[in-house]
Amino acid sequence: MKLQEFIVRRLILLIPVIMGVSVFTFAIAQIIPADPAAALCGEKCGIVGSNGLTAYESNVIRLGLDKPVYQQYVIYITNLLDGDWGESVTFHRPVIEKLRDAAPITLEMSFLSLAMGFPMGITLGIFSAVWQDELFDQASRFVAIAFVSLPIFWLAMMFQYILGTQVGICDPITQALPLIPDTDGGCFPIYGRHDPTYTFPDTGTGFHLIDSWIVEEPTKFNPQTNRYEVSMSHWDMFIDTLKHLFLPCFTLAVASTGGLLRYMRASLLEVMNEDYVRTARAKGISETRVILVHAVRNALVPIVTILGFSIGGAIGGAVLTETIFAFPGMGKTAVDAIVYLDFSMIMGVTLVTAIIFLLSNLLVDISYAIVDPRVRLE
Amino acid sequence: MSDFTTDFLLYFVSLIVLIFTIGIISDGIRGKKWSDSLEDRTEGLNRFIQGWKQRIYDLRKSWKIFRRSVLAIIGLTLIITVSTISIFADDIAVEHPYRNLQDTEDLWWIDNEPRREAPFSEACDWHEQGIDIFAIKTNGNSRYVTAVSDPVIDENGSLTPFPLQIIRLESIEDDLGYELNNSLINVHNETTFFMTDDALNVSSSKIWVTFEFENEEMHHWWLPDGYDVCIMGTTNTGQDLFSKILYGSRISLKIGITVAFLTVALGTIIGSISGYYGGIIDEVIMRMTDVFFAVPGLILAMAFVAALQNTTSLTMAMSSVAFLLLLFLITSLRGVISELLTGEGTPSNLISRLQMKLRESDNGIGDMPPLISVLFKGTLFLFRIRNILLVFFSILFFSIFWSGIWPSGIGMELDKSLILVIMIFLFLLITVFDKNINEGVPKKLIFDRVSESFDFGNPYRFLALRTILIFISVILLIFVTRSSESDFILIKDFDRLWKIQAALILTGWPGYARLIRGQVLYIREMTFVEAAKSVGAPDGRIMFRHILPSAWAPLLVAFTLDVGGTILSASGLSFIGLGAEPGTAEWGILVSDGRRFFPNSWWLVTFPGLAILATTLGFNLLGDGLRDIVDPKNKR
Repeated sequence: MKLQEFIVRRLILLIPVIMGVSVFTFAIAQIIPADPAAALCGEKCGIVGSNGLTAYESNVIRLGLDKPVYQQYVIYITNLLDGDWGESVTFHRPVIEKLRDAAPITLEMSFLSLAMGFPMGITLGIFSAVWQDELFDQASRFVAIAFVSLPIFWLAMMFQYILGTQVGICDPITQALPLIPDTDGGCFPIYGRHDPTYTFPDTGTGFHLIDSWIVEEPTKFNPQTNRYEVSMSHWDMFIDTLKHLFLPCFTLAVASTGGLLRYMRASLLEVMNEDYVRTARAKGISETRVILVHAVRNALVPIVTILGFSIGGAIGGAVLTETIFAFPGMGKTAVDAIVYLDFSMIMGVTLVTAIIFLLSNLLVDISYAIVDPRVRLE
Repeated sequence: MSDFTTDFLLYFVSLIVLIFTIGIISDGIRGKKWSDSLEDRTEGLNRFIQGWKQRIYDLRKSWKIFRRSVLAIIGLTLIITVSTISIFADDIAVEHPYRNLQDTEDLWWIDNEPRREAPFSEACDWHEQGIDIFAIKTNGNSRYVTAVSDPVIDENGSLTPFPLQIIRLESIEDDLGYELNNSLINVHNETTFFMTDDALNVSSSKIWVTFEFENEEMHHWWLPDGYDVCIMGTTNTGQDLFSKILYGSRISLKIGITVAFLTVALGTIIGSISGYYGGIIDEVIMRMTDVFFAVPGLILAMAFVAALQNTTSLTMAMSSVAFLLLLFLITSLRGVISELLTGEGTPSNLISRLQMKLRESDNGIGDMPPLISVLFKGTLFLFRIRNILLVFFSILFFSIFWSGIWPSGIGMELDKSLILVIMIFLFLLITVFDKNINEGVPKKLIFDRVSESFDFGNPYRFLALRTILIFISVILLIFVTRSSESDFILIKDFDRLWKIQAALILTGWPGYARLIRGQVLYIREMTFVEAAKSVGAPDGRIMFRHILPSAWAPLLVAFTLDVGGTILSASGLSFIGLGAEPGTAEWGILVSDGRRFFPNSWWLVTFPGLAILATTLGFNLLGDGLRDIVDPKNKR
């Protein structure tokens, strides 16, 4: 099978799953005990409009709630395709706009956490496999299981406590860099996406790590003059964003390290028994080179698959970290929507997370097929 | 519940007695003596002992493998510790999680400084008492004031303060929270204060005296004498955090094990159906799991919690209960029913003769009046569907009993005896139709079949235990869910804990379904399954007796790991406010309650989190150890 064919096939296979997710979210919204028509008009539900109907009744008609369920589903799908994802009662704005703002925040966090977690997990996994059944291996297996068992929200708060508020822990760093505003002298700010005095444009990509470079004039609010002043560089903004992202991403990274370590260890142990590794050793190549060049490269191939699943895990974990670190991302949005039974938002968030997960898996699969052509044959 | 337990035990014991009596009587009727079946009995006992010996041997072997791993032993120790704590929480804890010995809520209002004492702070046996000076001055109350606690609910259910023993006076404050001179009040003796003249002249209607008291209840028996401290600090309402964490283990373990168990059950059923039947069913189920996997678990669970928001009790329409029961009986009696419907191996000669005659008349050989022919056909038809009719009538019987169509008076009076009657009826019904009991025994009349199963010489009688189990579970169901309404109540109080449990079950089954499906697909192709199929074993039997017992190993590992995962997810849900009620002694809730005072009162977050970590770690380590046992590489 050619690569293009493989991609097309995978794309086609994606459609029923996305359809399934839409049916699923629709079903959830049907069960949720909230009246969307009443939620939209609030106290004004009883007011009679120009067409002789109360605001509530006209909402019912506008939302199509008087129609049978299957027709409602058709309406829902048509609206989705038209880009009308409904109005969020909690955030007082269209769902799609809110999601457009929230998704980059979560994605930025997830990607950065994977970028931190993968090297950690893979390195530990390699050492663990190389020194199989030795003390380091036992210790790292314990650490792996311990990391899997860590409650993310607790870990995040512990990091906040130790790295964010404890004065003196990173004195060498704080002496070299200016003191961070939101902390009592800790290493990292404990909440927020950026220094409140910095301004990021609304028109950017939403990824602050990128936006900090494309901002035309980096401005900072000066409380003395009560004005925005250009007194900083792109680099300052970038570092500030990175510092704010560090704690939540590190938390998620630690949480994902455990699983990765185990997979990497198992994968490498399997590869180490292969004939080509034995051949390489027989040729007299140094052990380091055998492991790094011959074994690890092959052991990494199955790890790529886990990358796709890890993105789902990171988004799930983001629900907790975003709540703790006050990031207005999709996780926080989902929590707010569910607490206030904002059903259109719940549907939107579920659908978008599912689509992100499926697309990232697709990308991973495609890259897998490029790296390892055997996959395409299946 | 205890009432129910005694009732249930009574029924169980009477059932056993009943079975033995019937067995002895039926033996007597058939002229069989107790000594006749001695050999059979010894044989049965020997098999029983042999089976257990094998099991114990296997267990020992597994333990040998398990013992090699230090981590697994640590995990097991952790789990045993947590379970012991949850069982003996009443004895270990110094304070009931929802009662408050110190009761310092008043402090909160006075100086906005709730008593959140740090771990190992001795201040946890300080008490603040308000003394009404105005009452002393005007009403002539005594100037000797007894030191008492805040009112606590006593055994009679009324609010009464209990006397305290004063050790030391800490401080005195007026109504506005300003410090006063400590000499205003004298400690008269161990139990009373004396109000000096200066105290009565204070320009405040009430003064608040804080004193250290002899707090024996706060003393941990395993700490040295006179060392009365809150070892993990106190919460914002002045409750002992350590006690709360101890009690929290109960809820967490309950959630973890219930959810993991039900998830495994649901996933196993769906996964085995998917793997065994394959085809379109498999395709549909697998696409469903794809959908579930596409949404991150926590968000999915949150959505389910939201969807279940207004459910106060889990009910089922009576019709669907009847339908499910019917489905259950039909699947378990499938072999019998299909045999009857196809007419193969019909035991009675009469019926075969009838069939022959009918066939002859149809072919025009014999002459038969049309009326008799119709009668014959009707009889044959009734005979063919006799089991279905029986099943149908028994269903009707149950639904009438459950739905309370019978006059309530009769229902109340006949309650216990009625249940006995139903028990006998059910037992007979299931015994008659349970083919497994009579396996290997040639088909006989119904009476023989029944007496056979009561026969103590019958080596297959142990199989009757399974029947009894099915039957007991049905009775249990009746009891737990007895209701006079038309709806069948599955869970009466569907509280927030049940909601997160339901959400986690609904989120978790796809993983198990896939796991089991893979196993079933693999085992289905093995020779022993083929052999079972070739001798005509029904699908259900192949599934439950041949395939699933071979697939239990990865299930056990997944179950153990899932208990830990569930505890984590449940505490996460509690943390974001979707789990248990705030103020509950549940670890996630404790963390989320403590978050308001973080990082100043760091202990409120740290210790419950450590408890979650320890429990989850225990289950994960144990699961890892079990994986080693199950791993064929370690089999010797």
